[in-house]
Amino acid sequence: MLPQASPAETSSPLAFSVRDAVVEYDRRPVLRGVSLDVRQGEVVAVLGANGSGKSTLLRAMLGLVPLAGGEVSVRGVPLRRFRDWGRIGYVPQRLSAGGGVPSTVREVVTSGRINRLRRFLPPSAADRAAVDDALASVGLGDRAGDSVHELSGGQQQRVLIARALAGGPDVFVMDEPMAGVDAANQQALARTIEGLSNRGATVVLVLHELGPLEPLIRRSVTLDHGVIAHDGAPPRPEGDCARPGHDHVHPHADADRTPAAVPVIEVSRRD
Amino acid sequence: MIELLQYDFMVRALIAAALVGLAAPVIGVFIVQRRLALLGDGIGHVALTGVGLGFLTGNSPVLTALVVAVVGAVLIELVRVHTRTSGDLALALLFYGGIAGGVFLTGLAPGASTATLTSFLFGSVSTVDQQDVYVVAVLAAAVLAVLAYFGRELFVLCQDEEVARAHGLPVRFLGMVIAVVAAVTVVIAMRVVGALLVSALMVVPVAAAQQLTRSFRVTTGLAMLIGVLSALTGLSAAFYTDTAPGSSIVLIAIAVFAVASGAGAVLRARRGRRSGAGRDARAEPMADTISATDPGSIST
Repeated sequence: MLPQASPAETSSPLAFSVRDAVVEYDRRPVLRGVSLDVRQGEVVAVLGANGSGKSTLLRAMLGLVPLAGGEVSVRGVPLRRFRDWGRIGYVPQRLSAGGGVPSTVREVVTSGRINRLRRFLPPSAADRAAVDDALASVGLGDRAGDSVHELSGGQQQRVLIARALAGGPDVFVMDEPMAGVDAANQQALARTIEGLSNRGATVVLVLHELGPLEPLIRRSVTLDHGVIAHDGAPPRPEGDCARPGHDHVHPHADADRTPAAVPVIEVSRRD
Repeated sequence: MIELLQYDFMVRALIAAALVGLAAPVIGVFIVQRRLALLGDGIGHVALTGVGLGFLTGNSPVLTALVVAVVGAVLIELVRVHTRTSGDLALALLFYGGIAGGVFLTGLAPGASTATLTSFLFGSVSTVDQQDVYVVAVLAAAVLAVLAYFGRELFVLCQDEEVARAHGLPVRFLGMVIAVVAAVTVVIAMRVVGALLVSALMVVPVAAAQQLTRSFRVTTGLAMLIGVLSALTGLSAAFYTDTAPGSSIVLIAIAVFAVASGAGAVLRARRGRRSGAGRDARAEPMADTISATDPGSIST
């Protein structure tokens, strides 16, 4: 039984449960009592204007910002006691510059397996395979040896997604993964995310617009001034799966299992 | 060059310098990436109070400096974490207090003079004794071991602290590891390079190496090589010119940086021309890229 996030399947366990979350920056409320349940296997888009609290909600769900009120639990465990971080893949809004010490695409993507790498030992064959798969599925297989600082913004965005993929999590939290990515690569990333979803992964992502992800997203949460203004089917100009050539595959997999490997998805190479 | 090795004190100083040159850039690569390039400076100032305390109490100044530097580093890290801003003013107070305390306590100590303190400020060729070499060797090994143990976690932390937290890494603890290891490195380097210049040996070899490299691993290795070469040649130059070794070591490291940034510019231009024909023909918009919005604490 694979959760497909259809309204009928409300029985799968919760990936995230947010209760009355309040977040303040310097006493200025950014989230003002947000409650949200995300079930395992759901793909949820978080929408809203700039400053509506989208990113803050995502960060609160991962405990990256302190809550001034309310609570968050991940997989049924209060955030404070949650330890199974290897199952969560976080894609931040952009690659942080740091102090400018160069690192290669492969080094950054390999660091996504921090919870799996063995101390003092070089990455194992399984580690390297997972990194190769992650790079291939974002179309950066041939840039592994390049410095991430030499890449364009869209390519850096794909490195961040590959880093999250490499850890083999089954819950993805992505903060504007499409920002700065050109149209062709947005399509490719949409296919990657669809592949993840087909394998039962939970995906929560902040988006500016649904774009190429539209066929995949059945639930969107719209924030307005720190409260949820809408939670349900996204505004949609056409019916579900009405797109010509849309072939929605529902493989039968054990929903409780972490995807054994990152799916390799053929994407059009821009290079 | 060979005649240098006929002096026991010089052999000891060279061993100590090589160890410092090896260890300092390794912690340096993390503090540069974490934008704490001046952390070593601050710790160096604080360590001086430890030196003064050693003179006053008749203990080994290196050991008292070690204790005071570690305590100072922990305080600096706590200020940094809890103020969320850079904690500018609090840090400045700590730094000035550290150097003033060092001068004051040394002044109180019988037999110690400003000249004695100067050897700790800018390094000294002739005052490294056998015990110092042992202390430096043990501490350098400890620094390298700790960084090898936590290296991958520190890489994630220094790339992006939020991502490190989302991986469940103990971010506060790892930040403390960096601060304490930096403090230990400062104390190791103090005898040879001097407390006021030690930070340069952490930062400058890294700044030089990153002009030429694309990977974190190679940057670290190259920075270590530059660190060892600058330390050894600088110390030898100090012997012949009868100057404080800290100054010549740092000047040589900066010269290497200048050469490396020139070579790096040529290298990047050539790389750009080669790839310009093919892969960047359909370059994506550069908006939001790192290089466009954020040059980092050290310009590349």
